[in-house]
Amino acid sequence: MITVEGLSKSYTGTSFAVEAVSFRVNKGEVVGFLGPNGAGKSTTLRVVAGFLGPTRGRVNLAGHDLESEPVRARSTVGYMPESVPLYPEMRVREYLRFRAELKGVRRAERSAHVDEAMERARVDDVAEQLIGHLSKGYRQRVGLADALVARPPILILDEPTAGLDPNQIREVRALVRELGREHAVLFSTHILSEVEATCDRALVISKGRLVAEGRIDELRERRRSRGLRIAVDSGPRAAEVLARIETLTKVEPIAPGIFVATWREGALDLEHATEEVARTLITAGVGLRELSPVKASLEQVFAELTEGSA
Amino acid sequence: MRGFWPVFKRELFSLFVTPTAWILIVVFLVIQGFHFYGLVVHFAENAELSVDEGPVQAFFGESILFYLPLVLLCPGMTMRLFAEERRLGTIESLLTAPVTTAAVVLGKFAASLVTYAVMWLPTVLYIVILRHAGEIDWHVVGTSYLGVLLVGAGYLAIGTLMSTMTQSQLVAIVLSVLVILGMFMLGIGEFIFDPGALHDFCAYVSVWGQMGELAKGIVDLRRLVLDVTLVAVPLFVAVRAVDAWRWG
Repeated sequence: MITVEGLSKSYTGTSFAVEAVSFRVNKGEVVGFLGPNGAGKSTTLRVVAGFLGPTRGRVNLAGHDLESEPVRARSTVGYMPESVPLYPEMRVREYLRFRAELKGVRRAERSAHVDEAMERARVDDVAEQLIGHLSKGYRQRVGLADALVARPPILILDEPTAGLDPNQIREVRALVRELGREHAVLFSTHILSEVEATCDRALVISKGRLVAEGRIDELRERRRSRGLRIAVDSGPRAAEVLARIETLTKVEPIAPGIFVATWREGALDLEHATEEVARTLITAGVGLRELSPVKASLEQVFAELTEGSA
Repeated sequence: MRGFWPVFKRELFSLFVTPTAWILIVVFLVIQGFHFYGLVVHFAENAELSVDEGPVQAFFGESILFYLPLVLLCPGMTMRLFAEERRLGTIESLLTAPVTTAAVVLGKFAASLVTYAVMWLPTVLYIVILRHAGEIDWHVVGTSYLGVLLVGAGYLAIGTLMSTMTQSQLVAIVLSVLVILGMFMLGIGEFIFDPGALHDFCAYVSVWGQMGELAKGIVDLRRLVLDVTLVAVPLFVAVRAVDAWRWG
């Protein structure tokens, strides 16, 4: 659905805001575009949505090249810009009707499209209100309704949950997941848990370059148990015993009677390995007080990925 | 031309739903009301003047009260067209919709032109009033309004272009007024320079001269070509200017 090849964008001509970014988003897939603020997320999305021209590279949207068939290509996309710009002097329904017409929805179908979009984005209760009087949360969802109104096969949402309260965030995430079943959805965020909660796949961008790409389960895999935290009653004996266990490597005391050990590469059977460690320690007569897995948080994984590119 | 109609309609809507258009129209009509009143009284008191000229000729183009509102009000109508969209950021959703830049520029320009025409519409009443007092040459009235429309279209096109150059409505209106005033003053060159190329050029581009001819019923094709150019060139540059942001 979305194919981006070697995309670079420079505002100044010398330094690049986005450099050599390539990725695909398929139909029925929600892809999270993840990166710290200023990494080039919005710039990339603006180029893909057709607002900015790429300095280099190609963008193909639902089979239409953005450069050679810009109008066709743009008609396949529902785009919600980061700041959710709206006309304050218009009413919600008026605005959505205008957007539907602008996006080429036929007159006979316009009301149905607008009603459906308002219902899905849950703005039907403010349909007759002036946009200028709406709260941030409602404005955000009017922007979402705008993206949906022409029923495009591709949705590009720039930080759709920014500025929402926790309940609204949950709703929007649920909606994005639901939309992902029939659309190709690309949405950006700097919140990792959001990607974990909504996406099938994530692209991680840092300093304008893609630094990681993978399925969410793969990303989770990276934060799987990496080792053990072991608390015992007698330090020196335990150190001896732990050093002999084959599945463990790098046993380090971090406090009196507390060790952190890392699993040896290739030690796959972790469940049993943990039991093995417990049994060995107890058999050796070491008083075992605590045994817990050491996990990298997704935030750490994220930090490792983005720092690695520095 | 995909997107022309919705952009045109929305622009008209927002001109009339916000006070902008109403204020401009009221100011304009108050000025023109006094202008017309003054002319009628003037001609009534000096009956011998109206042998080869009447209030219609004088109204369209012989007094500064005709030009001053045009120079100031046209930029007022166009200043928000693009500057406001850029300030609000709505230009981003507008240009990512499946529309062509030319359609957006033309839609906005057409909306300002219609507002301008609506602004002039009540002045037809003056002609109706004059009819009660004497003969009206409808040919002259027609060419006069043609001139009003052509000159206005040129000024609005310049205003549209200036609005694409900035995010500030104030900068847009100041730039437009300066450019329009500059062009207006070029026409005065006709009375300053000695006969020659410069003199002829100034006479050719003179709005004053053009309105004077049209108000007498004279339609000069060269003037029409100039007018159409003055509409087409700024609009073309405006389209390029909008497209240029994408690559900025």
